[in-house]
Amino acid sequence: MKRIFDTQLIGPFAAMVIVALIVALTTERFLNPGNLSNLSLQVSIVALIAIGSTIVIFAAGIDLSSGSMVALLTMILAQMLKFVGIPLVLALPLILFMGGLLGLFIGLITAYGRIPSFITTLAALIAFRGLALTFNNGSPIFSLDPALEPIFYGKLFGVPMPFFYLVFFYVLAAFTMNFTKLGREIYAVGGNPAAAVLTGINVRKVQTTTFVIAGFMTAVGAILMSARLNSGSPNYGQTLELQAIAAAVVGGASLAGGRGNILATLMGAMTIVIVQNGLNLNAAPSSVQNIVLGLIILLAVGIDMWRAEISGLMGRMFGRTSSQQSSNVKKEA
Amino acid sequence: MTPATPLWEFVDITKAYPGVLANDKVCIRLMPGSIHGLLGENGCGKSTMIKTLSGVQQPDSGQILHHGKPVTISDPQAARELGVATVFQEFSIVPTLSVGENIFLGNMPRSRFGVIDWAKVHNEAARVLAEMDVDVSPEAITGSLSVGEQQLVEIAKAVAMDARMIILDEPTAALGEDEIERLHQLLRNMRERGTAILYVSHRLDEVERIVDEVTILRNGCVVRASGETNINVSEIVSAMVGEDIGEHYPKEQNATKDIVLEAAGLATNSGVKDVSFSLHRGEVLGLGGVLGSGRTEIARALFGTDELTGGQITLNGKPVRFRREIDAIRAGLALVPENRKFDGLFFNFRASGNVTAASLGGLSRFGVLNLKAEEQATHDLIRDLEISTQAEEKTVNFLSGGNQQKIVIARWLFSASDILILDEPTQGIDIGAKIAVYKLINRLTRAGKSIILISSDHDELLAMSDRIAVVQHGTIVRTVDASDLTHDDLVRASADTPQSKPKEAFA
Ligand SMILES: Nc1ncnc2c1ncn2[C@@H]1O[C@H](COP(=O)(O)OP(=O)(O)OP(=O)(O)O)[C@@H](O)[C@H]1O
Ligand SMILES: [Mg+2]
Repeated sequence: MKRIFDTQLIGPFAAMVIVALIVALTTERFLNPGNLSNLSLQVSIVALIAIGSTIVIFAAGIDLSSGSMVALLTMILAQMLKFVGIPLVLALPLILFMGGLLGLFIGLITAYGRIPSFITTLAALIAFRGLALTFNNGSPIFSLDPALEPIFYGKLFGVPMPFFYLVFFYVLAAFTMNFTKLGREIYAVGGNPAAAVLTGINVRKVQTTTFVIAGFMTAVGAILMSARLNSGSPNYGQTLELQAIAAAVVGGASLAGGRGNILATLMGAMTIVIVQNGLNLNAAPSSVQNIVLGLIILLAVGIDMWRAEISGLMGRMFGRTSSQQSSNVKKEA
Repeated sequence: MTPATPLWEFVDITKAYPGVLANDKVCIRLMPGSIHGLLGENGCGKSTMIKTLSGVQQPDSGQILHHGKPVTISDPQAARELGVATVFQEFSIVPTLSVGENIFLGNMPRSRFGVIDWAKVHNEAARVLAEMDVDVSPEAITGSLSVGEQQLVEIAKAVAMDARMIILDEPTAALGEDEIERLHQLLRNMRERGTAILYVSHRLDEVERIVDEVTILRNGCVVRASGETNINVSEIVSAMVGEDIGEHYPKEQNATKDIVLEAAGLATNSGVKDVSFSLHRGEVLGLGGVLGSGRTEIARALFGTDELTGGQITLNGKPVRFRREIDAIRAGLALVPENRKFDGLFFNFRASGNVTAASLGGLSRFGVLNLKAEEQATHDLIRDLEISTQAEEKTVNFLSGGNQQKIVIARWLFSASDILILDEPTQGIDIGAKIAVYKLINRLTRAGKSIILISSDHDELLAMSDRIAVVQHGTIVRTVDASDLTHDDLVRASADTPQSKPKEAFA
């Protein structure tokens, strides 16, 4: 248990709290119950997709395809519900399956074709958007199914449904990463692929699996997107992949692979959404929002890179050092 | 300058890392024309000292005097300008660049118009390599060379700077006897020219041969000061360890008659040809030979890394074929690779993740890991192998080289392998840790496991093996009982034909 809630969470958690405090102090409506529940709706799609993006990053890959895959899957879902007449209970599992399948393709091409995932998912980013446009002459499809909206807007015990999805998937992901063989292998492959081969880990299979997970989580996001707007559109999910990666990075995941905590990604996503929300409430234009998002990413990575220097500086300022030899060190200071 | 004034003086150098006082008021004086040994156990702070001296990091306190004048070495560039060249313990060559480019990296000779003077790069590199008696082409891609040759390129980088002081942090860890002798000759020549040399090594036999003065560190403090000239290995050892360590090579005879593995006529495209041998239960079979003789390649052929183009491996009487490493691991083989940094360790894990990496299947039920068992097993291994207890809490990149090596071996102790291939298992680890590894070898063979030991340390190979197979040019030329062989026999047997043959096409 100790390992899941380790020190890696302190930074992202502190960042989230600080950002929330600033927004709460500067913006009147931020703490309204309405706004808060709106916030959990807003964060849900990015945060769910970011689970997959983060796991791919843990294995030293990158997934740029999720935004376009959302568009493609909302169009397929819309097509199935509106024109093919497939019932919702069947269409939803099918979409989840297709998400996993698309991820499998990307994973196989990446791992077995030995093409960097930056390239394969960049290709997918472009191609999926194009594929989405082949449905319904490229026009959005509206009013899909009245049963779709409650998936997003429904409440259980007064709590919005997306909250439960977040809890479910993040608990599952944290369990997988921290307590299972698969999770350990993902970190191992990201940490040192050459050593992983020599210890008998099937590196390609593990890499492929991370993309299957990413595809599946993207499908979950796509379903929520469709439910939110009761529609499918080839324009949905623009830059969603970048927001998901940003959530991972703000949460402290190392793009070099092997390091990071999945729960920190949730905090990263919250931080980003809180900032956006604060700017929205203050009627900041979207240009400003993007600039601020860029700065947050830089700051988050910077703090991570300079962690040693920062803690050294703090140590010197407060004359504090951990553990046994502290008395010796103090003498010197 | 009179020889009596030190070239460099380091006074009361202190450096703390979070939780560790790595150097505690260390003083070292370096005289021109003298080889100064910096010795001590793994983690005693040798590399920390060297990083401070070469400007990689700043000391927390202390003073540095150059020709008696205080200076600060603010960064590696400043060190270079002050005439200091360093060969670091960790490789700093770029594998995708040529040997010549690596030698002059950051210091490329340029022609008048500011473009790189390639003719000069190659000529100068060739001159340095020739001076070092190293048979490698300046145009060769560095990553394609063997680990030992890469190490020589690393040293050539420092030699090319023509520095007044040269620091070498375990330069011989990856070298064979032959290369070590050539390096020593080079250092003697430099000493003649008045260069000050600071030398770190865990091979005490070579220390005895070449070093003029020593400084011995223990837990970050100097326990034997500079200027001691009468060097005696057993004194050094007891100063390093702080106690008497007893038998250096505690060999047990555990070999039995049963054959567990048999290789017949193995061949690969990487240069292994017609390799045949048998391995008995409980036996240590040593592979002797010079650097580049093909011992690592034989290991790779056995382990399924390199595809067999001929021959047959028989395991417990049954013919087997390993298409990948995982097949070999499932069949009970294990490989502790020569290059732990690139092929062995997961630097993002603590000891536990590294120890169990090869046994995750056995450690899990329905894919869920038994973390309690993992922590317990790691805790026990850390205690048994005397690994720094920091390894339980910190990721292994914070550990010293010796502790890292023990963790790689611990991985295969924990897995249920029956046959272990140990490629240079004591490379870069201190005397105490070496003995711990030897005891581990005993523990394994006592339990009926068999070991193929590859080592460039001839004394170790002779003392710890039951039989020795002499390897030349990718093939086993003969196999003899270790007790029938002396150190000199082995040197002669492994080197009686020039090893440079296959490379002539290169130059
Ligand atoms: N970057 C670092 N951060 C924290 N601790 C460190 C760091 N580098 C080294 N240490 C610790 O400082 C101590 C001294 O390490 P150092 O690398 O100097 O040992 P060494 O004498 O060179 O050992 P070896 O013979 O194994 O190379 C060790 O306890 C090590 O774990
Ligand atoms: Mg060292």
